[in-house]
Amino acid sequence: MTLLSVRELVTEFSTDEGTVRAVDGVSFDLPTGGTLGIVGESGCGKSVTALSIMGLLPQPNGRIASGEVVYQGENLAMASEVRRQAIRGAEVSMIFQEPMTALNPVHTIGRQLTEVVALHTNQSAAEQISTATDMLARVGIPEPAIRMTEYPHQLSGGMRQRVVIAIALICQPNLVIADEPTTALDVTIQAQILELIRTLQNDTGMAMIMITHDLGVIAETCEQVVVMYAGQVVEQGTVFDIFDSPKHPYTRGLLASIPTLDNQPKAPLEIIPGMVPSLHELPKACRFANRCTFAEARCEIEAPPIEVLSSSHQVRCLKWAQL
Amino acid sequence: MTAPLLEVNDLKMHFPIKSGLFSRAKTFNRAVDGVSLSIQPGETVGLVGESGCGKSTLGRCIARLYQPTEGRVYFKGDDLVHLSHKALLPYRQNIQMIFQDPMESLNARHTVGEILEEPFIIHGIGDAQSRRRSVAKLLDTVGLPSRSATRYPFEFSGGQRQRIGIARAIALNPELIICDEPVSALDVSIQSQILNLLMDLQQEYNLAYLFIAHDLAVVKHISDRVLIMYLGQIVESAASETIYQSPLHPYTQSLISAIPIPDPHRKTNRILLQGDVPSPIAPPSGCRFHTRCPVAEPRCSETAPSLLEAETQHDARCLLINSQ
Repeated sequence: MTLLSVRELVTEFSTDEGTVRAVDGVSFDLPTGGTLGIVGESGCGKSVTALSIMGLLPQPNGRIASGEVVYQGENLAMASEVRRQAIRGAEVSMIFQEPMTALNPVHTIGRQLTEVVALHTNQSAAEQISTATDMLARVGIPEPAIRMTEYPHQLSGGMRQRVVIAIALICQPNLVIADEPTTALDVTIQAQILELIRTLQNDTGMAMIMITHDLGVIAETCEQVVVMYAGQVVEQGTVFDIFDSPKHPYTRGLLASIPTLDNQPKAPLEIIPGMVPSLHELPKACRFANRCTFAEARCEIEAPPIEVLSSSHQVRCLKWAQL
Repeated sequence: MTAPLLEVNDLKMHFPIKSGLFSRAKTFNRAVDGVSLSIQPGETVGLVGESGCGKSTLGRCIARLYQPTEGRVYFKGDDLVHLSHKALLPYRQNIQMIFQDPMESLNARHTVGEILEEPFIIHGIGDAQSRRRSVAKLLDTVGLPSRSATRYPFEFSGGQRQRIGIARAIALNPELIICDEPVSALDVSIQSQILNLLMDLQQEYNLAYLFIAHDLAVVKHISDRVLIMYLGQIVESAASETIYQSPLHPYTQSLISAIPIPDPHRKTNRILLQGDVPSPIAPPSGCRFHTRCPVAEPRCSETAPSLLEAETQHDARCLLINSQ
């Protein structure tokens, strides 16, 4: 069953230099309990997509210009702020990248956890504290009762990220959006956090959107993958579609350019030449054409539509069949 | 084997921690605690470890941005540690640094031309005209258009700014460049461009690199030899291929197994480390890794292991390996 369906989402920001479209026509479906990864480089619109789903776009500059965010049959893009607040944190919640900025430095860990419970349930103060303490224990924080009284600066980076996860999960949401949850962490701590997220997902059956630039994290945690470039979806499919038979030149370039432990040492790496275009001056047709090794004249004239290759696999490229 | 370009002997950097403005330091942050290493001309040595292990501090001690507490740093046989700033100047031409965040390491109020000209001015090389020619040549070498010279750092993307940082580092034809996380702030597609540039420059100018990073796959790709650092000490060192094929130290093994692999078919057998890295202010007794080590024995908390040759050209700091 489809839990979340994003349809032709367009998100715009007004800036001093005019309106920019950070997300331009993004569509995907997420089944109940499924895991979807959104991958792309800085500025590709992956975080803005998440904020649009959450209704957390920076105000007053950001807005959903068109499209739908359908959660359990309800279009959140048209929902009132009151309705949004009722859903946010209780049914749909978010794990942020920087645990130090996501946590309030002047409130105790306990207060930040019980605040969520108080907002969304009718529990008494004592029940809220025991719910919060249990949640801290579930995310693997030792001596949770003591941690409840401590402040974020007293915890290590990995422990802070566990607290952020605890806040996101304390009301047992149906959907969690994790925005680069391990990017700021060391590799051994990243492994702990990914394992924790996997265990919690197995236990609760929640669905997850994992936003990251790390293809290794995608391969290990996701069932479906959406590849974004300059505000658009350029390819999407199952994790096997994307890693075994990538069709878009950008996806192929990304996969080829990461050094892996199997690489020949000191051999030149595959590169994607040039850099991501500015959202102010996007190429008119294919947005990747000026960096694409396979581009031909029509790629700069004709905007490629999304083409359906199979029930799971879609690509936005005029030449995918010839590659 | 030729004479090493750089040799570091038992280097220590202890930062004093003061509890009040006028009180004397009672405790020390032992960021680097007895590190020895050597780098051959034209060689890349990778230095890997988690945040707070002291890898950046070690790099800065070698470049003498910090005055080490103890130990020796020999560059072509000359000890740098006790040289005055003036006496150090000729060596600074030969040892340069590339920093992680090019936005913070480039002066925002200077044009790129001024930034790249400065090393020549400081070292009194050439006249205004020849300096401008050198700047144009440097920009070309790192793949930036010559008109970049009149523009400011903020006008460039992250990858281009890192190219400017690299151009500044190679301006005076150094023999050793200390690269401190040069690609970790960059996107994947830009990261590979910069790594290729660094490898090309090494070929062309016979540069030696000390490549500091936390990304093991990147380090493996660029390095001839790799050093693994934990809490201020080297725990394992070997040729790049060897350390990834047959890591000996339990810390190295868990680091390598923790890397997420971009292949959905591969099921990883992960060694999950418990807990966080302990503080370098009060490192654990005995082996510093014993608090997180999956195979630690009682003696590991009592006896501190030394870095010993376990196999040919392959050193490890572990009681369990060295007693076998």
